Amino acid sequence: MKKFTLTLTTLAVAATSAVASSYVTASKVDMDVTKVGTKSKVWEAADATSVTLYPQTTITFNDKNAVEQNSENVAKHAQVKAIYDGKNVAFMLKLSDPSYNSVDGTKTDTYPDGFAMQFSDATDANALPYIGMGSDGRPVVVHLQKAVKKHYEPNGNGDVAHQVNPGNTNKFGKELSKFDKAVDAKAMKKYQRAFVAEGFRSTTEIKDGSADFQSNMRWANGEWYATLTRPMSDDYVDLEGAFPVAFAVWDGEKLNRDGLKHISSWTAVDVAGQDANGELVTTLTTEVTGDAAKGQKEFDTNCASCHRYGDKQMAPEYMAPNLSNIGGYSTAAYLKESITDPHAVVVPGYNRNMHPNFKWYTVTDGKRMSTMPAYGWLGEEKINDIVAFLKTLKKEAK
Amino acid sequence: MAKRQLAMVMDLNKCIGCQTCTVACKTQWTNRNGREYMYWNNVETYPGKGYPKDWREAGGGFNAAGDLQPGIIPNLESDYGVPWDYNFDELADGKTLEPHMDPTWGPNWDEDEGAGNFPSDNYFFYLPRICNHCDNAGCLSACPRDAIFKRDQDGVVLVDLDRCQGYRYCIAGCPYKKIYFNPKISKSEKCILCFPRIEKGLPPSCAHQCVGRIRFVGFLDDEESQVHKLVKKHKVALPLNKNYGTGPNIYYIPPTEAPPKFDANGKVIEGSQRVPMEELVSLFGEEVKDVIKRVKAEKEKKATTGESEVMDMLIAYQHQDMFRLDGAYYEQIAAENGKKLAPVDTRYRSGKHTKLQYKAVH
Repeated sequence: MKKFTLTLTTLAVAATSAVASSYVTASKVDMDVTKVGTKSKVWEAADATSVTLYPQTTITFNDKNAVEQNSENVAKHAQVKAIYDGKNVAFMLKLSDPSYNSVDGTKTDTYPDGFAMQFSDATDANALPYIGMGSDGRPVVVHLQKAVKKHYEPNGNGDVAHQVNPGNTNKFGKELSKFDKAVDAKAMKKYQRAFVAEGFRSTTEIKDGSADFQSNMRWANGEWYATLTRPMSDDYVDLEGAFPVAFAVWDGEKLNRDGLKHISSWTAVDVAGQDANGELVTTLTTEVTGDAAKGQKEFDTNCASCHRYGDKQMAPEYMAPNLSNIGGYSTAAYLKESITDPHAVVVPGYNRNMHPNFKWYTVTDGKRMSTMPAYGWLGEEKINDIVAFLKTLKKEAK
Repeated sequence: MAKRQLAMVMDLNKCIGCQTCTVACKTQWTNRNGREYMYWNNVETYPGKGYPKDWREAGGGFNAAGDLQPGIIPNLESDYGVPWDYNFDELADGKTLEPHMDPTWGPNWDEDEGAGNFPSDNYFFYLPRICNHCDNAGCLSACPRDAIFKRDQDGVVLVDLDRCQGYRYCIAGCPYKKIYFNPKISKSEKCILCFPRIEKGLPPSCAHQCVGRIRFVGFLDDEESQVHKLVKKHKVALPLNKNYGTGPNIYYIPPTEAPPKFDANGKVIEGSQRVPMEELVSLFGEEVKDVIKRVKAEKEKKATTGESEVMDMLIAYQHQDMFRLDGAYYEQIAAENGKKLAPVDTRYRSGKHTKLQYKAVH
């Protein structure tokens, strides 16, 4: 693990409990990284960085069994490596997962393991897109792969003739095996999708081929090995110098899908040999200032009547985002922005009709306005204390 | 709420559980490609576990405060039932016909079982179910992807398969479990109220094929439609489990007729009710008591005076009176969108916005 050792002179007070994050270094290699797989030798030379992924607990979902199975979730650690060849950048993610879960198109209530990476074109580390799939004017592009066994999935291709079961055709003998082969040839072998989003409910699949990427997943001995290769420059992002990425993993064993997942905070990737965006790396790796103990008092006075966290359940259910893991997957800059300017990032979150008594935002002239009042009046010091406290809100791995 | 709402009324007194509706729907929409286990329309025996098994205990819907309740996603083998096949190709070798698997549940598994003791006080009736195309749909509210929408022109609730990512919260959210997961394409699918048929002048196939003519289709705001008359004017039809808070738009004439109970000696107990009122209240709410009184009064009126608008509707003389699909309304909407709709059948064109009345041709 690498630590970004640069310390800003302005950091007068050391944070009480927040730990500086690590960043990923993408090293230059002399090969076409679109060709890498999970077993490629090239990974051996690359440095691994530990990235922590926290359970998404901002919102809860309405699947009773899934909610029960995920209620005690704690953080997971993934080992991340990165390489680039000038044109493309490739990532390797290693995650321990004792259970292999995939789907084969035959069950109604099983879910596959999966992983995703989120990229953004933003360079201002203080105004990154919302971690939950972007926000208005701050779009993200997401690459997703899920563990899927080969099965026929026409997926809107309009091929009705091959949709029927063999027994429903009027074919026999050789004709029938020809039919079976034709269906097999059209099978989906990998579930790989790319999306653009400005907030998670806006997530839209990219189907025009403009988000080219390769990915692989391999499970062996309780570990997932996943690779993802994408262009350093395409219609969506230009990844130069240093850029932010975020990771998500789904555990099919625990009925994970959609927001039932573990996510990392924005993590800086430093492209070795290129002029780095030092500010981005610094901002994403530097400890927060502020006194978390004081911050907790301020939080309980000003915020806890709406926001629940951990065992603090004073706020009515559904009233506001649950902050139990907010420190794990949010940057300090985002937390500060949300306190001083709640309207800056208001994402189309879960369907507002689920809990209509507590509207998290109103819509005025097509713009979402948070129902949370701004708390800038608390002053810089108290806000920094609250941010320091919020950064401690995360369920670490035991 | 949609601008207008298309609704269906089903007369439970006349449903004979023949499953013609089920088959009409299945052969049209769900006999292929991952939909084999789905029954967008099913007819179950009440009381019974239904389809999917114990759907009433599977959660979803809204509580009194308006919060969507957690639910479960039924299992294919144990709750829906795998569509099994038979060893047809082995029959030539002298084998007996057997299912290729050991089935444990299916869409009509507890048919005619009902409750009570035969013959003294056993009872059951058939409950045909399709998607309720709710005003405040649980499936729609549960979707974190905005993949489910309610059509403004007629209130039909549909899944946008382009947006759907197969998360299945919709299934947990629907208290009727009338939205299904297609595992092959990894997307949710449901009854579409046969909107492609309706737009071209044909009623939904379940309603059109119904041999008992128990199903009426029309717009709730069309005062001439029998749906409006049964639901709004005469108030003899009620939605299923309004208490789930979704505002369902499929209405039922509750069962009013059943033979009396027998005593231990096999003698008729005069005035006894074979179907317990509390069962009907649990399905249709307290209003069902008044509705049953109204239906019985209309029946009496018809018997004594020969006149009853309600009974004349429930006798279901003419399909073209039962279905008012407002053809011109759909054609106008299509024209506004630069498309053209041509009716394949003109018998059911009439409606609030369809002034032109076609003469019956059949």
